[in-house]
Amino acid sequence: MNSGAFARTKLHFLALLLAAFAFVSLPQAGFAQAADPAVAEVTDSPNTDLSAASEVNANAAENRSVAEGEVVAGDEAGGGFQHFGPEMIKGQPEAGAYGFQPQYSDNGRFGLWMHDAILMPIITIISFFVLGLLMWVVFRYNKRANQVPSKTSHNTLIEVIWTVLPVLILVGIAVPSITLLARQYESPPENAITIKANGYQWYWGYEYVDNGGFEVISNMLDEAEALDAGEPHQLAVDNRMVVPVGVPIRLQTFGSDVIHSFGIPSLWFKLDAVPGRINELMLTIDEPGIYYGQCMELCGALHGFMPIAIEARTLEDYNAWVQTQPGGMTVEQVRAQAAQEAAAAAAPAAAEDAAEQDGPAAEEENAEVAASEGQTA
Amino acid sequence: MAALTLDARNRRTMGWAFLGALAMLALGFASVPLYRLFCQVTGFGGTTQVATMSEAQLAEQQAASAGGRTFSIRFDANTARDMPWEFAPVQRTDTVAVGQRDMATYIARNDSSVPITGTATFNVEPEAAGIHFKKIQCFCFTEQVLQPGQEVRMPVLYFVDPAILDDPDLDGVEQITLSYTFHRKPGDTVAADAAAAGKGEQPS
Amino acid sequence: MATTADGFTAHHDADHAHAHHDADHKPGFFARWFMSTNHKDIGTLYLIFAIIAGIIGGAVSGLMRWELAEPGIQVLGQIIQFMGGDGTTIEQQGHMWNVLITAHGLIMVFFMVMPAMIGGFGNWFVPLMIGAPDMAFPRMNNISFWLTVAGFVSLMASAFVPGGPAGNGAGTGWTVYAPLSTKGSVGPAVDFAIFSLHLAGAGSILGATNFITTIFNMRAPGMTLHKMPLFVWSVLVTAFLLLLALPVLAAAITMLLTDRNFGTTFFNADGGGDPVLYQHLFWFFGHPEVYIMILPGFGMISQIVATFSRKPVFGYLGMAYAMVAIGVVGFVVWAHHMYTVGLSVNTKMYFTAATMVIAVPTGVKIFSWIATMWGGSIEFKSPMVWALGMIFLFTVGGVTGVVLANGGIDDNMHDTYYVVAHFHYVLSMGAVFSLFAGWYYWFPKMFGRWHSEFLAHVHFWLFFIGVNVIFFPMHFLGLQGMARRYPDYTPAFEQWNHIASWGYVIMAVSMLVFFVNTFYALFAGKKAPGNYWGEGATTLEWSLSSPPPFHQFETLPVIEEHHSHYDHIGEKPAKA
Repeated sequence: MNSGAFARTKLHFLALLLAAFAFVSLPQAGFAQAADPAVAEVTDSPNTDLSAASEVNANAAENRSVAEGEVVAGDEAGGGFQHFGPEMIKGQPEAGAYGFQPQYSDNGRFGLWMHDAILMPIITIISFFVLGLLMWVVFRYNKRANQVPSKTSHNTLIEVIWTVLPVLILVGIAVPSITLLARQYESPPENAITIKANGYQWYWGYEYVDNGGFEVISNMLDEAEALDAGEPHQLAVDNRMVVPVGVPIRLQTFGSDVIHSFGIPSLWFKLDAVPGRINELMLTIDEPGIYYGQCMELCGALHGFMPIAIEARTLEDYNAWVQTQPGGMTVEQVRAQAAQEAAAAAAPAAAEDAAEQDGPAAEEENAEVAASEGQTA
Repeated sequence: MAALTLDARNRRTMGWAFLGALAMLALGFASVPLYRLFCQVTGFGGTTQVATMSEAQLAEQQAASAGGRTFSIRFDANTARDMPWEFAPVQRTDTVAVGQRDMATYIARNDSSVPITGTATFNVEPEAAGIHFKKIQCFCFTEQVLQPGQEVRMPVLYFVDPAILDDPDLDGVEQITLSYTFHRKPGDTVAADAAAAGKGEQPS
Repeated sequence: MATTADGFTAHHDADHAHAHHDADHKPGFFARWFMSTNHKDIGTLYLIFAIIAGIIGGAVSGLMRWELAEPGIQVLGQIIQFMGGDGTTIEQQGHMWNVLITAHGLIMVFFMVMPAMIGGFGNWFVPLMIGAPDMAFPRMNNISFWLTVAGFVSLMASAFVPGGPAGNGAGTGWTVYAPLSTKGSVGPAVDFAIFSLHLAGAGSILGATNFITTIFNMRAPGMTLHKMPLFVWSVLVTAFLLLLALPVLAAAITMLLTDRNFGTTFFNADGGGDPVLYQHLFWFFGHPEVYIMILPGFGMISQIVATFSRKPVFGYLGMAYAMVAIGVVGFVVWAHHMYTVGLSVNTKMYFTAATMVIAVPTGVKIFSWIATMWGGSIEFKSPMVWALGMIFLFTVGGVTGVVLANGGIDDNMHDTYYVVAHFHYVLSMGAVFSLFAGWYYWFPKMFGRWHSEFLAHVHFWLFFIGVNVIFFPMHFLGLQGMARRYPDYTPAFEQWNHIASWGYVIMAVSMLVFFVNTFYALFAGKKAPGNYWGEGATTLEWSLSSPPPFHQFETLPVIEEHHSHYDHIGEKPAKA
């Protein structure tokens, strides 16, 4: 068989050009995606400087069963608090979309801008540049167009250029990249509301440590239930993670059994939940709404069936919701209760304070505990 | 190299190659203690540091001249899924001056009907604070045996090293979380069923 | 040892090896294929093995695309029933899914790409290209192959033993993260899978040693390191990566085994271990591993581009040392696979910067290939077309790698389909296109018969369209937040998934063309001459017959100046 007879190469590569052009141009449509203007509700930051001696784990087990009971009942007992309906869904995937989901946090918008305005143009230009060079050599230096190959095998200048130019481009990328990282790692203020996302096989538990320590257990709705609720299947849950909007949240993650990962695409947030340690990042959501996410680290058989649904509410609504929860209190209530208990237990507290102030006494107390429980640092 | 036959050279090269592979194998195993050491020395991953009482007193003296900045400390408690204990801090948060010794107390209670041996892991967030978070005494990583229904108070004596004030990585940090997780000791299989019944069933 | 050059008597000119004499004396069937010590036979065995593994791994991905073609779970239950299980509960189906993704990853990485690249083409052509009669340790070579086969058998066996309460098979992902792989997966399946990695890893370490020894000690007179063909350079760098990275994996998975079976707690927080350490160790191996899979492909592309441009490789030294640089830097970027695990900001910034550095030597390679073609007289034979496809698609995969390198951006892409798209562009397109390029480049050399160039082009175009239709939409899915390793998805993701599944059909058709072509070539192909690509093909394998004699280079070829790398067309360039 004459191997050369079949390769109508110019036509082939015209097709290659068109196909590649089509593929690479698709993400451009993503730029058209309008970033929703964030309506950040500025609310007074609640003072969460707690000093309450909370009850041991706030009857966590009991809360679970209560939370479970709410699957159907909702929060009717909660005195006026109504969960958002599907019309408030903001962070969810859109059929046929090319780009990121619209972002509802500052860092999210920065990340989206960096991706859409810096990275996408750069990688698109590079891809087209390489494609263009390939096309050029295909048309200009094919066997018919160029019978005699050159013997060039070195050109120091061009080698230096194609080494240095990428370095400069990468440095250019690194600047906003480092900025984004620094912003993501900004430390939450002391009075940020702390919420823990505990990953279990295979559901999430949201522990409101600053609001009485109750834990909301969140399971995926099955298809019929999701349809009934008007929410997207695979993302809808029975009990959402209700969070305040516009105030910083100290979001901590913990893996109860294996590694899970708490990921919310529309908030530019992803943090693994690792057994034996907590991770922490700050999250501030701009506007009320429902934001869906999913477990993002393979965690076993039902990894694909433990979605996350965040319901971001005004601080007022959040406080109202908190009080519908078993043992749930607003930050103010927690503080008031703590003050009350402190007053009631003034004597022991004073003793403890004294122990702290007084070196030898503290040592004595510690020695005592050490003796009884056998520990060293 | 002309002095050696090809066979000898090949065997020598192979020897070096195997030596390299063996060294990497050894490094792989050694990484466990090395990583632990690395974390302990650098505070990587939010690993807290160990200090003696005399170091604590020294820190206190340094802090006195540093202007008395305070940090909020949050105490966090977790239990692994198969651990039928209730475990929580007495206080959720506390405010301490830099260099000031402070004591926090956790309470653990065995809710199961069998004796359970527990071990604790710990870290601090933000991670960069690990190097400056010094514990003088702690219940961490010694085994604790709790009888059914038994409740113990477990203290942690700690201070925040004044060096934190000079660490640019911790500019803007207002609160440090000290987290403990209690695990059921592996191999502690006495009546594991009872433990499983106590906690961790998936609702629904 | 009779296999070394010293042992041969110089009486035969290998260029005319058609006659029947010692050089073509072959052992009997069993001895030849089961106790093989001949590098070409072992290479053939590796290629056959890789094709079989590729069929299985590709079939697994077909099941995955079938399941993902539409929302809901349609296929997994049937698979379980087909394998003799019950398959009615969602846990069983979810576990089956995890078994599929694990099997697909492990098979394609350890039993398809690596055996084909290093075991197959490496074994076949490294000795030929450096003018050696065989590998340095022919019997060790045989052991390497059979260890790999044993590893594959162990992995297959894992699918039929319990892997957890929800069914048979190892469902841990190819990364085998603790604690899911330790206390999260009871039953022997994960042990079998880990043992399979031990066996394949041991085989690869032996193979790497063999290549290093062969390349260092057995080059023909005059072939200095800087005159070696770039494919040999790529295998040399790859062998070092294997030698240094695989033992770390071996240590890590050995500790997994003891954690699973002997009560240790290296990676188990229950006993004070750190699950994150396992990830550090795995990716310390895992990142070099991705270069292990692509570097030999780089080498093949360099040979092919030079051959069909009828030009020497542009910037030979830069090309060789770019691979060395990629290998070295590849060892210090591993944590970009674990950006969301809870690293401190400084750690993340370091790994962001270090990862982006790799784009520089990679860019040098891309541009040097183009510069090699520049001014050339290019013939678009099938290997060249595959090479051109590889260069473009690898670029696309490479630039999405630059996007993912940014720790802050990765926070929204980590473990989404964007990552899946990225690594399939560099591997399923980069590595696999290189494999097919190498296949068509060397097939007549290896087997003495011509494939159909027409079918090879048809194969290329169908495959090119198919894989792009599969994987390009995955970028969109990933950006929209679709998570990896999910058997089911919300209806919004249906459109692109559906398209991707049709892409698989196109790709599968192209593979039919490939098999037809291969069988046609083996049974009816025209006989191929020694150097069938003409004057552009200048490396030593083209000085031999097709197929080469059973024993080649009984008289060692002497590499003179005009055989040097930068002189593929016979004249010494002005400047060295």
